[in-house]
Amino acid sequence: MRESPTVEAAEKGAATSGAVPQFTPEFLAATRDLEKEWRSKFDAIAQKFGVDPKTYAKHTDSGLPLKPAYFPHDIADMPYEALSAPGQFPFTRGLYAAQYQFMPWANQPVIGYGLPEETRRRMDYLQSQGMIGYFGNAFYNLVYDLVSHEGIDPDHPSAEGRVGQCGMAVYSREDNARLFDGLDLSKMNVVHISYYENMAVLAHYLAYARRRGVPWEKLGGNSMNWYYQSAYTGMTCFPPKAGMQLAAEMIAFCTKRMPKWNTFNIFGYGMEEAGADAVQEVAFSVAAGVDYARECVAKGLRPDEFLGRFGFQISQANDFFEEICKIRALRRIWARKCHELGARDPRNMHVRIHTHTSGAVLTAQQPLNNLIRTTLHSFGAALAGVQAMEVSTYDEALAIPTEQSATMALRVQQVIQEESGITRVADPLGGSYYVEALTNQIEEAALKLYDEVEKRGRYHNCHDFVRAKIEASAVRWRDEVDAKKRIVVGVNKYVSDEIQDMEVFKVDPESERTAVERVRALRANRDHAKWEAAMAEANRVTERFKAGEVGGLVPAMVEASDADATTGEIMGVLKQHLGWRSPH
Amino acid sequence: MDQRVIRVLLGKTTMDAHDRGVRYLATKLREHGMEVIFMNFFEPAEILDAATQEDVDVIGISSSVEGHLPVAREVTRGLKQNGKEDVLVMFGGVIPERDIEPMKELGVKGVFGPGSSADSIVAFVRENVRRPRVSFE
Repeated sequence: MRESPTVEAAEKGAATSGAVPQFTPEFLAATRDLEKEWRSKFDAIAQKFGVDPKTYAKHTDSGLPLKPAYFPHDIADMPYEALSAPGQFPFTRGLYAAQYQFMPWANQPVIGYGLPEETRRRMDYLQSQGMIGYFGNAFYNLVYDLVSHEGIDPDHPSAEGRVGQCGMAVYSREDNARLFDGLDLSKMNVVHISYYENMAVLAHYLAYARRRGVPWEKLGGNSMNWYYQSAYTGMTCFPPKAGMQLAAEMIAFCTKRMPKWNTFNIFGYGMEEAGADAVQEVAFSVAAGVDYARECVAKGLRPDEFLGRFGFQISQANDFFEEICKIRALRRIWARKCHELGARDPRNMHVRIHTHTSGAVLTAQQPLNNLIRTTLHSFGAALAGVQAMEVSTYDEALAIPTEQSATMALRVQQVIQEESGITRVADPLGGSYYVEALTNQIEEAALKLYDEVEKRGRYHNCHDFVRAKIEASAVRWRDEVDAKKRIVVGVNKYVSDEIQDMEVFKVDPESERTAVERVRALRANRDHAKWEAAMAEANRVTERFKAGEVGGLVPAMVEASDADATTGEIMGVLKQHLGWRSPH
Repeated sequence: MDQRVIRVLLGKTTMDAHDRGVRYLATKLREHGMEVIFMNFFEPAEILDAATQEDVDVIGISSSVEGHLPVAREVTRGLKQNGKEDVLVMFGGVIPERDIEPMKELGVKGVFGPGSSADSIVAFVRENVRRPRVSFE
């Protein structure tokens, strides 16, 4: 890896800031006078509206104080190095020197419902409608169903009514064939959106690719490794430390064997959906990322080997400017943390962002209003310079998207991309007194919260703290809605009795029956001796992993999948040795 | 006084991560003086076990991702079997319109969709709880 002069120079520059101030003292004196003059006029207007200017105060959605207008002196203390140029450390203004000029952000809708064939039809359809990944390659952002997330099979008694819901019913190597046959695996990117079944999902994909004769080195895509989510959602297969170790094990494997694979996804979106505000999303995302990165270093990986393959999924919610500034602040904080972790190549300090526009702020009431909300979210994400987007559909609060709502979500991105002209200039808001000042405010507040997590012994040791903070924020949000201090159009203002006629998607109940039959047939027809040997080996390797062995887990699970072990069976082994509930 | 605080068991399947609403409700019910137990369950039998052990007056199940009908069926059947039909059962989350009637036929007394206020649920519990208990303001 090359040593980057950029980063070192930037750090040095930051250390000696003040040497090259952005503005001269005379200029700042003049703008301060100007602000006084403006403020007296503003106060006079406030009084006309019956508002006491002394108590007048507005805040961002995460509670940061705002001024009614911003001036050059509001960002005078910021060294220009903290801002820098697009593509330069610390990447406040974007990751690359060219933003969207030669390649716009990728349109990456999340797809997944029912049987793999049904999901495949939606994949092919959206691709025909212009869903496209980086460099024009095929891109599939695929979500697994809840049954799979929990690491069980569709014939498990508690799976009833949940198979193929909220994701696709894919539980084996054979199901991967149903999903991917006919596609060129070496020329596409697959994000496997999975929770605890992460390891089983990768095992099935690798076993399937090998049978197709595709070398793993050529596979592009993403494993999520979202174990840290148990801090703020109820899904709890593995205790925090075991989850982190499973993640590090997979990251280590992929780093050595799959150079094109993205090994870890930092899921700020999930935090926001659970109730986190913008500051919390940044702070906890960085805290989880740094924590897992340290675990990888402890497993013997060099920061420049693996950090470049970490990605982020970040929410874009309602507070238009705060959500943009959140992303700019996150890029700066993460770049510096990666530098602290020991990365030296600036490309390994990037916050590559897949935006997921907020689902939590969408409403079941007057659902078409959601198209307006998601357009604003998507537009904000574009102004912030993200790499890819998933736009929530207008029926998000009701059901899995219909074909029409999924198409509309894609069109939101396409209209912004093709018609608004904002792809012509990088970081179009850069230098705005307001945007830069708010970016600094978020950075400061997020670092403070991050430090608190660190003081409590790193992210994986303070899930309770993270949960308490996020839950308190969720309660505050809802209380404000109920008290009408926060307006939600159609819910607590401009309420209408008129029902918008909507098609609500329903997964074919036959899909569940078929999925159950398939998994039973798979178990009945497989080579039992081969399966038994592979499962015994998976068991032994998991025991050794628990005792500290590095590097064996993924290959063992691939062999199990190759012997037609199901997701539930593979996960059963992991849960038995590493889980914190009784195996189920 | 033989009256006791209203005890509520709130549950959500462990498979369903969309628990923001039910966790919020837990906070609000506590603020209104009720005792709340929240659990992630795997199978409805766990809800029934906990309801018996904790002697609850109300069971509230949150569901955002389908699978609510089988759970409603199991829970109401189990309560009947255990002679606990006086336990008030309510559901919340993303429950399609078409499923509300079938759920009520099973014995689910209240169904609260997206955007329902905590106050409306508190009022519902107070009005419908069958056993002589109180909630302190």
